[in-house]
Amino acid sequence: MFSNQRAELSKYAYIQTKRLKVLHYFFPERTKYPRDPRFKSAIYDIEYKKIFSLLENEHVHFDKEIYRTNGYIHFVKLLDTYYLGTKYLIIEVPEEHAWKSEAWKHIVGYGFFSFVLFMIFGLMLSRLFLKPMRDSIMLLDRFIKDTTHELNTPLSAILTNIEMMDTDVMMEKNKKKLNRINIAAKTVSQLYRDLTYLTLEQEKKENRVEIELQGLIRDRIEYFTALANTKQLHFELDLENVIIYADKQKITRVIDNLISNAIKYNVRGGTIGIRLRIGRLEVWDTGVGINEEKIPFIFDRYMRFNQSEGGFGVGLSIVKKILDEYGIKIEVDSKEGIGTQMIITWGEQL
Amino acid sequence: MKTIVFLSLLLLQPLMAENIYERNCMPCHQDLPTSLQQMFKEYLLVYSGEQNVKAGIKHYLKYPNKSISVMSELFIDNFGIKKESTLTPEELDEAVNIYWEKFKVFNKLK
Repeated sequence: MFSNQRAELSKYAYIQTKRLKVLHYFFPERTKYPRDPRFKSAIYDIEYKKIFSLLENEHVHFDKEIYRTNGYIHFVKLLDTYYLGTKYLIIEVPEEHAWKSEAWKHIVGYGFFSFVLFMIFGLMLSRLFLKPMRDSIMLLDRFIKDTTHELNTPLSAILTNIEMMDTDVMMEKNKKKLNRINIAAKTVSQLYRDLTYLTLEQEKKENRVEIELQGLIRDRIEYFTALANTKQLHFELDLENVIIYADKQKITRVIDNLISNAIKYNVRGGTIGIRLRIGRLEVWDTGVGINEEKIPFIFDRYMRFNQSEGGFGVGLSIVKKILDEYGIKIEVDSKEGIGTQMIITWGEQL
Repeated sequence: MKTIVFLSLLLLQPLMAENIYERNCMPCHQDLPTSLQQMFKEYLLVYSGEQNVKAGIKHYLKYPNKSISVMSELFIDNFGIKKESTLTPEELDEAVNIYWEKFKVFNKLK
């Protein structure tokens, strides 16, 4: 902090010592103490007695080499040869504030420079570390984008043909087989819709319409009935008449995903509950539940907690994305082995 | 007659001196080329403070030795080492105090 001053004051002390030497040899013929416009000085003997002083601030610390005192900087030089008995030569200069602002400028300047440097370095490093992860995500995205495009036509053909089949003339054995095909095709269809939403539809323009939620939920439950029946699940519905204003495709994706998860992760013979009120939708199940530590990550893309169930792990990520878009809050309440409850709440915005 | 008066004044001078310093120190130093003032400055150069200077002078007067003299070797070689002081410690203290007061630098610089 005193590095600049130290050199300068040391130079002054050296000059004054030379002058004291001259005065010593001419004393007592000459008694005028040497003065300098650049600094004030004082001389003290070995017993700290003042021999002569021109200091503005007489408060001297003999144990320090350089220090600041009441707006002045003192530099204490110890003489080896005691001219006129002087052991301590004190050089005093007024404290300049210029060096302070200069120092601050340097601190801020260099600080900012190093901050930027570290930021760039950090960014480069993180990009380097995240590159393999980013590459794999991009690869997966590209793969999904390419394959989903090709899935639509055959899937539509399967589902349409199942619907068109006359089950009345069919044998019971074949009916069961057809039902299984229907469930499988719907599962693939659900997956297909998620993936196309993720890669293609989300880029489409928003189309807000009036949605009667109760009806929509009943429609979707009907759609999933076949799937739910395979696990012998039953629904407990408590639906009120609620109307919202949003994109129907997106809200369908949300409901589909919540119901399909409740089916997928439920236990055989379990229950799925749906409760609809104004500004609130609850979907609960009596399934396997989610580990408390993993709850914060369930909305992450490609995150799957149960490898036994199919899927890409994109469902809840889509739900979260859509809900965020509309500013809707979602809460997850889950206990392992007991079940999961998803609570969606919205305000006046819909 | 004039010569007798002059000689007797010369002999009586030490007795007429005002104090112990003038009686015991000045007569011998008068013959030396280096004044007591100059010697005082030599002591200052080496000892700096009052107590140090006084202690140094007293010690040298009691135990004169070339190795502890503040004077240059050339001076010692030419004028030798003084004899041990015969003054009592009290007298020595008094003489040294007078010497200090007479030549000290304090309050003399402007």
